[in-house]
Amino acid sequence: MDSGVNMLCFSASYALALILEFSGLWNRLRLRRFAVLGIASAGMVAHTWFLGQRVAHAPQAPLASHQDWYLLAAWVLALVYLAAKFYHPKSSMGLFLLPAVLALVAGAQAASMTPLATFQAPRLWGRIHGVFLMLGTVAVLLGFLAGLMYLIQSHRLKHKLPTGRGLRLPSLEWLERVNSRALVAATVLVGGGFFTGVISRLAHAGEKNFIPWSDPIVLSLAAMLIWLVVAELFRLVYPAARRGRKVAYLTVAAFVFLLFVLVVMLLQDTLHTLPLVDGVGEVGL
Amino acid sequence: MIGCNHRGTGLDVRGRLTFDTQQAAEALHTWRSQFPETELVLLSTCNRVELYAAMNGESKASATNQLIDTLLDYRQVSRQEIEGRLLTLAGSDVVRHLYRVASSLDSMVVGEPQILAQVKQAYQNAQAQDCIGPLLHELFQSALSTAKRVTGETTLHKHRVSIPSVAIAELANCVFETFDDKHALVIGAGEMAEETLRYLRDAGRARIHVVNRDAERGQELAKKWSGEYHAWDQLWAQLVHADLAISTTSADQPLVTAAAFAEHVAPERYQRPLFVLDLAVPCDFERTVGDALGVYLYSLDDLNDACEKNRQARAAELPSAENIVAQETDRFLANLNHRATAPVITGLRQGMERPKAAELERLFRRLPTLDEAARQEVEQFADRLVNKMLHPPLESLRNASKNGTPHSLLEALKRLFFLED
Repeated sequence: MDSGVNMLCFSASYALALILEFSGLWNRLRLRRFAVLGIASAGMVAHTWFLGQRVAHAPQAPLASHQDWYLLAAWVLALVYLAAKFYHPKSSMGLFLLPAVLALVAGAQAASMTPLATFQAPRLWGRIHGVFLMLGTVAVLLGFLAGLMYLIQSHRLKHKLPTGRGLRLPSLEWLERVNSRALVAATVLVGGGFFTGVISRLAHAGEKNFIPWSDPIVLSLAAMLIWLVVAELFRLVYPAARRGRKVAYLTVAAFVFLLFVLVVMLLQDTLHTLPLVDGVGEVGL
Repeated sequence: MIGCNHRGTGLDVRGRLTFDTQQAAEALHTWRSQFPETELVLLSTCNRVELYAAMNGESKASATNQLIDTLLDYRQVSRQEIEGRLLTLAGSDVVRHLYRVASSLDSMVVGEPQILAQVKQAYQNAQAQDCIGPLLHELFQSALSTAKRVTGETTLHKHRVSIPSVAIAELANCVFETFDDKHALVIGAGEMAEETLRYLRDAGRARIHVVNRDAERGQELAKKWSGEYHAWDQLWAQLVHADLAISTTSADQPLVTAAAFAEHVAPERYQRPLFVLDLAVPCDFERTVGDALGVYLYSLDDLNDACEKNRQARAAELPSAENIVAQETDRFLANLNHRATAPVITGLRQGMERPKAAELERLFRRLPTLDEAARQEVEQFADRLVNKMLHPPLESLRNASKNGTPHSLLEALKRLFFLED
């Protein structure tokens, strides 16, 4: 970027904030909390600026490529981190959220910058498809992280381990609420993303309107959606599954599906990179 | 002093040795008839069972053994069961220990306010059973005033901190985000239950339910905290609804066994989180109840870690408090030792007063013309002279008393001034 703001700028800010979060395991200086907030906010500003520059240069951005998609997901998660930091300033949630943000930025670094075919499909459906899946990814990630924190906090309370020092986590009740809502949101968003992708595909003018069900990314996404729907039904039918630990396990399993989708996207995104018959662009789900 | 406390003895042993107020009164009554010459105070709280005794003529070892047998026989606990876990103190160590206990420096939660009332209660209980003599009377009175000095001169007690407050602030907050919509079940209606409710009310507006065997006391507690009283047979139903359970009964056996919990409560709760604060000694909840899904069971011993944190936070104030305890201990021991010198001082003074009176009488007979003012002046002169002559030996006695009873000095004075025992 000619503005001088690049991925390294905000990655470094997030990494520094993460180091400070780690130092909070040993020191509880108030100054450290302000420093974490300041550095993470600076990273957020740089991140926003970077995405803004992308939009300025590519009208389809910020979801025009896999890289944009990862970066936007990281941006949303970083925003969630900052909000969580204001809501629970003393908690160590950054130790969970910031690595996920950095992992998404790292994914962006490795991801393709080639424009996605979805933006050559009918524009509205393509965009909705991208936004839904990006937000669904963030929801699954959030649910997974909240579930992880829930399991750790629950383990510490069960085994009478110190909870007030070092790693400070929100209450089980709060984590359970976030976890449950993340699971509902993930189901809706991934479902929305999947079906808008189908609609986008079907609405693509001049193409054979087939759905490539054998494509790895379609398969993995469909598997994740089925899992999320089954998990939601399980929660509705079996009351104990609405409780913290069970929800946590469900979201951890959903994350495994997501991980599979993301890896497939990085390694073998066959569908989104298929050349169009007329060679104009690429076909997106 | 013999006994056990939270530092070296687990709940299993403490639970077997503990006494409630009524049991303590009965025990003191029994011991009083067994040892009529011995002064006794029994301090029994959740965290300690300590028997203080003052007696004459016994050797230290024999007195200690006698006390241990007395306590263990009464509770039907064998020596093998508590081998190495009983604390035995004598002499100045007892004074220092009691001062630290009363000042809450030896408590699980340093600075907790309950212990002072418990020490006072133990003292009054012993008084009611006529077990208190001059020594323990003075010791306990000075312990209470030392505790008040620590409270007044340090900020150790600035924030009211007790085991329930630590349990609510450090642990229940890790489970619940807010207490406003929660059902808090209080099992038992003792002092600890009330203390816990106070902190719970500060933390939020939980709906309070009280289950107690004594309906009158339970209703009283429920009314005081705007809660709802339920009959004892509603225990299981209330446990099903509760989010937070606080148990403080004085039952000898666990009220809630793992089997009963699995049968009556767990199937209805669907793993909904239940935070159980078992503040009873012995425990009201069987430990394995905590293995059930969604149940977070904390007993008094489990609160150790949270209390240690509290102790560290108050560490800055501890030196001042310990200093007060050391000063008061020295003062008490000096007074005690000085009191042992009282017969010698009286003898010395009488030994001087008698010749003074005789000499004054002889002088006034020889000088009959002296007016009243002159006679008073002469009498005052004689008094001052006696006082000045007595000052060096009395000062030496006072100084020597600070380090224990000055037996050799007392003997020397007796021989020098022909003082009789």
